[in-house]
Amino acid sequence: MPPVTRPRRQDDFARFPSSTPIVIDNGASTFRIGWAGESEPRVAFRNIVQRPRHRSTGETVSIVGDTDPALMKFFDCTRSAIRSPFDDDVVYQFEYMEYILDYGFDRLGANSEVGHPILMTECECNPSFSRARMAELLFETYGVPSIAFGIDNAFSYKYNQKLGNCGEDGLAISCEHGTCHVVPFLKGQPVLGGCCRTNVGGFHITDFLRQLLSLKHPYHMASITWEKAEELKKEHCYIALDYMSELQLFKNNKEEAEEKTRYWQLPWVPPPKEEPPSEEELARKAALKEKAGQRLREMAAAKRSQKIVELEKKVSYLEELMEQLDEAEESEATAILGRSGYLSQQEIRSAISKATQSLRKAKGESNGNEEKTDASAADKYPLVSVPDENLTPEQLKEKKKQILLKTTTEGKLRAKQRRAEEEALREKQEEQRRAENPELYLEELRARYSELSERSEQRKRQKVNGGQTNGNHSSSSGVGRGERLNAAQKERMRLLASAAFDRGKGEDTFGMRDEDWLVYNKMSKDNDDDGNDDEESELVRIASKLQEIDPTFVSKPETVQPTPEPPKVRPLTAEDYRIAIGIERFRCPEVLFQPGMIGVDQAGIDEMVSISLRRLMEDESVKERLCQSILVTGGSSLFPGMIPRLESGIQQYRPYPARLKLVRAADPILDAWRGAAAFAASSKFGKQTFSLADYREHGENLFHRHNIVYSL
Amino acid sequence: MESEVVRTEMVLPLALPFKKVQMADKYPKGQSRGRQWKHLRLLLQAADASSMPPDRPNYLNIQSPPSIYPPKRYCDITGFEAPYVDPRTKLRYADPEVFKQIRMLHDDYVQRYLALRNASTPLK
Repeated sequence: MPPVTRPRRQDDFARFPSSTPIVIDNGASTFRIGWAGESEPRVAFRNIVQRPRHRSTGETVSIVGDTDPALMKFFDCTRSAIRSPFDDDVVYQFEYMEYILDYGFDRLGANSEVGHPILMTECECNPSFSRARMAELLFETYGVPSIAFGIDNAFSYKYNQKLGNCGEDGLAISCEHGTCHVVPFLKGQPVLGGCCRTNVGGFHITDFLRQLLSLKHPYHMASITWEKAEELKKEHCYIALDYMSELQLFKNNKEEAEEKTRYWQLPWVPPPKEEPPSEEELARKAALKEKAGQRLREMAAAKRSQKIVELEKKVSYLEELMEQLDEAEESEATAILGRSGYLSQQEIRSAISKATQSLRKAKGESNGNEEKTDASAADKYPLVSVPDENLTPEQLKEKKKQILLKTTTEGKLRAKQRRAEEEALREKQEEQRRAENPELYLEELRARYSELSERSEQRKRQKVNGGQTNGNHSSSSGVGRGERLNAAQKERMRLLASAAFDRGKGEDTFGMRDEDWLVYNKMSKDNDDDGNDDEESELVRIASKLQEIDPTFVSKPETVQPTPEPPKVRPLTAEDYRIAIGIERFRCPEVLFQPGMIGVDQAGIDEMVSISLRRLMEDESVKERLCQSILVTGGSSLFPGMIPRLESGIQQYRPYPARLKLVRAADPILDAWRGAAAFAASSKFGKQTFSLADYREHGENLFHRHNIVYSL
Repeated sequence: MESEVVRTEMVLPLALPFKKVQMADKYPKGQSRGRQWKHLRLLLQAADASSMPPDRPNYLNIQSPPSIYPPKRYCDITGFEAPYVDPRTKLRYADPEVFKQIRMLHDDYVQRYLALRNASTPLK
């Protein structure tokens, strides 16, 4: 992007006599201000205002014109957009206009007062309310003595007429920021009755280009700014002589099209390449890992030995204590117990056994806990065998507990035994059957196996797919809202819904009956697997058996859900950061000729010429004369190929053979200001202006009639 | 203010000596929220009809009429001539390749493409 240069404040404001008019070309894209009679405007800036918040002070400030993006970091622009006082080509937001005028006069060097007549440009047939507000602003806020308004394109035409580019009678075709105009001139005066305006201009071209590119490259939307699009437009866009054939050229992918395509490379840094680690690196990593492991192992060993020592100490201490207790008298024993912190001898004993057990564990020996409990079953329930008469009530209670415990453990043991017996019996029966008819048996086994495995598979599928059992194994396996649920899940949903619905409705009798609580069992998610375990174990058993007796049997592998291949992420290359501008180069400026492309139902600039000539109630000979002097001006007329295309376009609307002469303005951008400056420098300029007194006398009516005479 | 900001003189001073009425007096702080500028179309409608005699040129009647030729239809995506319209998205397309592409487009993008030629249907 070209560096943004802020206009310097002029320091010779005081040198100009108060009769020298200030000339302002108030264009929708650029504001230019300077002195009458000079050849260049003193100050020019983009006609925009933004009001961001200054970050450090929190003040809202006004910034006019383009800004250096590097300096915008000091401002918070999130809540302020870039504003223009223009709608199409008419000033309608006079608050923003005031900021712009403030900045314009300030840059021109105004100190105590503006105090000079003003010549300001405006669009063709500017609505009188806009003129009135502008005049009001200039008179009342800036204290301007007198004002004249003139049409920018007329000044441009007059300036080029002086240069000899066009005649007294002719046409001006102007492609501006928000609009395009065609203005006929007769005897050097614009004929407003023959004017014609289409609301398409350079703004729309830039916007169209920006939108197209950002739609095509959504990832780079942030890079495709308005300023960038404007720059691309100015640099690369052109107008096709024949739009349709140019399109065909691009459509058929000719080499020429490739040649005409431009590329914009966004800044792109290739990602650092991941190199496979070298042998050394691997060895070093392994050594490090090994070292760390060694250290951990050492630490664990040290901890263990320390623990063993501690436990041994404890055990020996406790054993000593026991010995002391055994030897000691009753009274002494209580004292010793009190000192040791244990309540009874039994407690010490249990502590010893506990300590020895953990000691064994620490030493890595197997603890014979299991057998010990079995063996000590008798002394675990010592009270069971003692008759009731010999026991105190407390002991009786204890005895009851012990009996209960004993019976349950025994029951469990018995059940286990019975199951084992049953298993053995079945085994035996099966063995028998197998012996009787091995073929049949194998067949049965296989059938059972396939049935079971099928069922378990189906269950798994249901779990994953939410009941997609119709064999439609699509990749959408997530249980979404639209997915079907299996019966159990449906039931759960129903229960939950009804529970939620019943809450707070009528009398709540829930819990009166014990069965009520079962509903929670049903609701809970875990019961899905209920009843499946048996089948699973059966399946495993049959599989093992089959493996034993059937050499051809291959157990079905665990069904692995086919995990979708992770989408291959293609590493981004510089090409992904390259924005091609091919067809857009001529597609965007084409909106000037075919406004319908962006939904504006108006005639394009070539047709506008014929409309303008039709509106002009003149003879055909006059029209022909006008066509000999067509001036093309305005910033959007700078596209290469504009003049030939306009010529061929206008030919279509003129009787054959039309003799046309099209000339591009000497400087399509600055000529309006230069013409205005020359006009204001004329000695008769004073007659064209109106003063504050005129304004007070006539009010807004003044502006209906205010049309300056351009030929001085 | 940072020195580089001050040096470029990019920030408009709050009070300018050549003005008769300062900005702050005209638009007091805190009232900007309620202040709305009418759009040009509304302003034009509001303008007194009698002040714009139909026989004299004015801003509205110098507008160009629609073209005498029917507008050409171009593909919304590629810009080529579009003989077809997708009945679902209403996008115009040039060939079956583009059709595949537009059927993959997100609705958001469809609307943005339509908005380019002022044909989107805003959902309210």
